[in-house]
Amino acid sequence: MKPDFGQDLSLVHLILNASIPVQIVMALLLAASLMSWWYIFIKLFALKRAMRITERFEREFWGGGDINAMYQRISAERDAAGEMERIFEAGFREFMKLRRQAGVSINVVIDGTRRAMRATYQRELDGLESHLAFLATVGSVSPYVGLFGTVWGIMIAFMGLSSVAQATLAQVAPGIAEALIATAMGLFAAIPAVIGYNRYTHDIDRLANRMESFMEEFSNILQRQATKPA
Amino acid sequence: MIDAADAPHLARPGTSIAAGVLALGVHAAFLLLLVVGVSWQTEHPAPVMVDLWEALPAEPSPPPVADPRPQPEPPPMPEPVRQVPPPPPPVAKEVPAPKAPDIALEKKKAEQEKKKAEAARLEKLKAMQAAEDKALADAARIEAEAMKRAQEKQLAEKKKRELLRQMEEDELMQKMAAEDAASEARHVRQAEARALAGQRQAAVAKTIGQYRDMISAAVRGNTRLPDDLKGNPEVRFWVRLLPTGEVTDIKLTKSSGNAAYDDAVERAIRKSSPLPLPADAEAKRAFVPELSFVHRPKE
Repeated sequence: MKPDFGQDLSLVHLILNASIPVQIVMALLLAASLMSWWYIFIKLFALKRAMRITERFEREFWGGGDINAMYQRISAERDAAGEMERIFEAGFREFMKLRRQAGVSINVVIDGTRRAMRATYQRELDGLESHLAFLATVGSVSPYVGLFGTVWGIMIAFMGLSSVAQATLAQVAPGIAEALIATAMGLFAAIPAVIGYNRYTHDIDRLANRMESFMEEFSNILQRQATKPA
Repeated sequence: MIDAADAPHLARPGTSIAAGVLALGVHAAFLLLLVVGVSWQTEHPAPVMVDLWEALPAEPSPPPVADPRPQPEPPPMPEPVRQVPPPPPPVAKEVPAPKAPDIALEKKKAEQEKKKAEAARLEKLKAMQAAEDKALADAARIEAEAMKRAQEKQLAEKKKRELLRQMEEDELMQKMAAEDAASEARHVRQAEARALAGQRQAAVAKTIGQYRDMISAAVRGNTRLPDDLKGNPEVRFWVRLLPTGEVTDIKLTKSSGNAAYDDAVERAIRKSSPLPLPADAEAKRAFVPELSFVHRPKE
């Protein structure tokens, strides 16, 4: 790199020579970008796993497996279980407990079971949706933050221009270039965050639909079993 | 009583380390792409040499008014104009050409004359010597020797004189040649200047013609012909222009016979302001400050 014209437009040089507010904005955006990518990957893995386990559980459940055996297995390894498995486990445990108590009507048993399942469903959904708000925030705010850095940098560049007699493009170009890096960083942070947010909300919605359907269907199955003369 | 098994399951931390590494990897890859992929301009293009020709007519810059004809490619245009000074034009060479043989002839004639004179002199000398010899043979030997010495002296003197004359002649010849060369050079220079002036005039005339056409085209484009116009009548205007081409004053000098058409052309001239003007100062003189404008509705 030759120092001709007294200007070096390399990326590192531009960032290091930026004014302090622009540098702060850039650091903020870098942190936001790192965090959002981190969450993007966490969510990616978590949702993939949830899908996989849900798929496996549904196949097992509707494949005519022994419900008692499934319940035993899932309650033995609750930490490794999937969301739908935990809903099933909570509902079945409640059902068993209520069945064991004498003098409880079927309606009460089924209502209790559904409540237990819904509580677990809410908790699981909350776990799935965690961090999505952060992605949404980064996606909507970081372009503005980057724009703020750019405007600030351009302001500084033009202020510097006011003190020279003959204004040339070469005097503002580095300032504008460094300022525009802030916008680029903002967009770099925002675009994946928005894409990730949209993708994951869609995936979670589908999972939630499946879980709700399962809850209804499982309640029906339990009701049928309860009304059957034992 | 609360059963421990009834406690809700709490979300475990996800696979955060792998995700963190991946996030860092994405950023590193992007940074690498920026640093390697985007060529941040650190090298400047080599400077370009530009020749400025003050005296020669510059190629007229593309006019702001749309020219219907495709511009003749600009690069070959200035070539012949620019190349004029180094090689002397053929006209200049032909002027001194008939002169050169004249000089040569003169030179040859002089040489021949000189040779002839010398030959005659030699013959004379020989004859004299023979006669003297004969006389001497009769005379005494001592006398003969003296005579011979004297003769020799005379001969030497004569030779010397001859040499001197030749030298003089040579000098004269050289002087003449130099004069001839000088006059020749002067002629060449004059012819060159004439040719250059002629070329320049031609270029200026060409530029003027071009811009006349351009102005006509511009005005024609802005003219709304009246419906009752018949034929291709000529109308003349006297137009006063600012150096920038702005029209300041228009006067009708010769009507076409159709007042509506005259008015339409006048409006068109005003609408075409500023008129396209050549950049060359000499060519511009044909348009600024006054322009006699001849216009026909059709080409």
